[in-house]
Amino acid sequence: MSGATAEGSARHGLRRTAAGLRRGAADLTRTVGSVRPGTAGADRAPRGGRGGGHGTRRWVPGGGRVARAAGTVGALGVVLAVVGLLPWLSGRDPALTVLRARSAEQEATPEALDAIRADLGLDAGPVTPPVRWAAGLLRGDLGTSWVSGTDVLPSVVTGLRVSLGLMGAALTVALIVAVALAAPVLVRGRGTSGAFAAMLAAVPEFLLATVVLIVAGVWLGLLPTSGWQGPAHLVGPAVALGVPAGGLLGRLVADALPAVLGERWVELWRGAGVSPARVALAALRRALPPLVPQFGMVAVGLTGGAVAVETVFAVPGIGRTALGAATSQDLPLLQGAVLALLALGLAVGALAALVRRRLLGPALRDAGLTLPAAPARRVAPAVPAALAAVLAAVIGWGLLRDPYTVDAAARLAAPSPAHPLGADGLGRDVLARLGHGAAATVGTAVAVCALSWLVAVALGFVPRLTSGLSDIANALPPVIAGILVAAVLGPGTDGAALAVALISWPPLAAHAAALVQEVRASGFLLAQKAIGAIPGWILWRHVLPSVAGPVARHAALRLPGMALALASLGFLGLGARPPAPEWGLLLEESRAYVERAPWAALAPALALALLAGLAVALSAAARPTRTTRRSPHGG
Amino acid sequence: MSGSLLEVRDLVVRYGPVVAVDHVSFDLSAGETLALVGPSGCGKSSTAAAVLRLRRPDAGEVRFEGRELTGLDERALRPLRPAMQPVFQDPYGSLSPRRTIRDAVAEPLRVQGRWDAATGPARVAELLALVGLDEAAHGGRRPHELSGGQCQRAGIARALACEPRLLVLDEPVSALDPSVRAGILNLLSDLQERFALGYLFICHEPALVRHFADRTAEMRAGRIERIGP
Repeated sequence: MSGATAEGSARHGLRRTAAGLRRGAADLTRTVGSVRPGTAGADRAPRGGRGGGHGTRRWVPGGGRVARAAGTVGALGVVLAVVGLLPWLSGRDPALTVLRARSAEQEATPEALDAIRADLGLDAGPVTPPVRWAAGLLRGDLGTSWVSGTDVLPSVVTGLRVSLGLMGAALTVALIVAVALAAPVLVRGRGTSGAFAAMLAAVPEFLLATVVLIVAGVWLGLLPTSGWQGPAHLVGPAVALGVPAGGLLGRLVADALPAVLGERWVELWRGAGVSPARVALAALRRALPPLVPQFGMVAVGLTGGAVAVETVFAVPGIGRTALGAATSQDLPLLQGAVLALLALGLAVGALAALVRRRLLGPALRDAGLTLPAAPARRVAPAVPAALAAVLAAVIGWGLLRDPYTVDAAARLAAPSPAHPLGADGLGRDVLARLGHGAAATVGTAVAVCALSWLVAVALGFVPRLTSGLSDIANALPPVIAGILVAAVLGPGTDGAALAVALISWPPLAAHAAALVQEVRASGFLLAQKAIGAIPGWILWRHVLPSVAGPVARHAALRLPGMALALASLGFLGLGARPPAPEWGLLLEESRAYVERAPWAALAPALALALLAGLAVALSAAARPTRTTRRSPHGG
Repeated sequence: MSGSLLEVRDLVVRYGPVVAVDHVSFDLSAGETLALVGPSGCGKSSTAAAVLRLRRPDAGEVRFEGRELTGLDERALRPLRPAMQPVFQDPYGSLSPRRTIRDAVAEPLRVQGRWDAATGPARVAELLALVGLDEAAHGGRRPHELSGGQCQRAGIARALACEPRLLVLDEPVSALDPSVRAGILNLLSDLQERFALGYLFICHEPALVRHFADRTAEMRAGRIERIGP
């Protein structure tokens, strides 16, 4: 025991020396104090250098917070501008759609269309409508729906009221799930594998909603399958929305707790005879505040998930309103609904910040309350490998079959040798559609991934820009991004790919920016300068290779997540169009026949669940890689 | 003082309001070792960075072989840089972790346009042999596959590839085990004798420089308090 401790502390000492060495080399160029205190302070803080530079450290967090707030405000401004410009950005003529929606009989004469255009304000150019919209916004007037001709505000308020109720219920579910996940860690005092929580967090809401609908609504008949009439209608959507959020919350807390429980004071308290319950409470109070900002992610997830869940359960909430408006090109209603969704996400985020401030008090000013690093968790590489192998086998088999042939005799046929996974509502082979759908979904995801990687590496050299833009991306769930893009480009695979790309590159770019900064600060780049290398050589031979590789690995690990996002857009009708065999679309199409042919829905659902599992396993496997990369000293 | 390899006059380096190097002046002749000693944070490394122009000094003059460097821009400085080479404290951090030792030593030749496919590899082997490394045994390894001492030797070989006349040694042995230190210091002495190199040797342990340096400059709070043998 003592031998192990000695070895551990020796290793720790070595690492500290190494950090000191690296800092020493970096000091040659890096400005020590006031010129770039952000980086210097950030470098120093985690290494526990309490002695040096108190003066700089004090204002580092303040500066960071101001920059962060400015970034968020800027991000909000950009999103608002995009929302305000939607009618002009879309560039298409909705007059005909509006005409059809208003009265099916009327002849589509040029005069009638012109009248509608003038009525909608489409002839006023790019500047006037958004200004008029913004001015109306200040007066509380959100405009008039193009389709129904009624005021937007009442529809938005009605939807918002329903959504708020749903989210309240979902948060309750999330809290229960989170407590259930964190409690065993508190009781036993050590960590769990966290795989279960990670799995829960990774299940996309649209998938969970469909499964809840099939199992509890259709097979067991326990819950109503659609509508919004009473408390019973609340249960299904709340579970579908709350469980992934609870999984995420619980995972964050359960991950942080073991390290906190390993801190010295816990031993001290126990030794002094403090009751286990009080120790557990104190550990929670220690672990929670630094996590609270991350709870903002949960809020963002809820707004995005609400769209899917409300659609599946036909709940007349704000998410469904937004989706309906996007598919029918009713831009004023869409503007109002997206605004409400964003406001909802921001409000929950602000609430989280307030709670954090209350919990932390003066400790916030010192920014000294960082959590000890969570111990790295290793996942056996066999897990992702097995998941990938199963998926590949199914996809490979399906690819050999024809996904478009309609066999009327086999409509909704049960699994049989002719159709191993059954047939769908038109008599098409489910296995074939699954295989070809994977090619479409994963193929698009690979393209999106490669694009995100390129953009990220290029923009990694402009960290200021990157940090502002990643704020936008973090505030936008894929579904909302998909709705916005679909409103501009119309629903389609390209639009869905663009939407996923838009929110995929910023985290990669942030990673790239961190790597660029790390490489630029390293001693060997100084040595490059000293041997007379020109900047182009240094960039091409040294900086790029150190950045491109790790970011490419990071991007590859995000691939399943991107595929899931694409599938969720397909499911909501914002992505691939029928008859394309896209996984999300497959699930959507088969929902109508779920009572008679559950296998048609279960096959894509299972495939998506496998994909989610793959995403989790890969992200867990990614962690050790990242820590080895962090230390250039290797073994 | 026209025979000096390096003349530094009233060098000033500031970090915002902090004056890290405060009117520092010294001379260094070819084949001579000047040790710059002092506690951490006294401005030794900042002086080194300013001498090498890895950082632009805020005031003062640096003359290398009679040529004023502080007024030159990056482009004009580039052809002069090979003649003055740094050896850093962290042996691992000063070599690219992704490149083999062979590549790292060959890189100055490539960068400076002196690489010749016929004679280059032999030159690299010769440089590695100079610092006591074996091309066949060590050339194909990456920094993390070498010991700290070997890695520092590779760093010195890389500096020698530039055919320098001045080496700025920024705590070159502080990160190494005492047993390895002597080997590196002996190597540096041999190389100095052989190539008449001028050494600006930066160190925070006065005991270490007593035998190694010809003269010692003691630094404190950005100023040189005393220069003497």
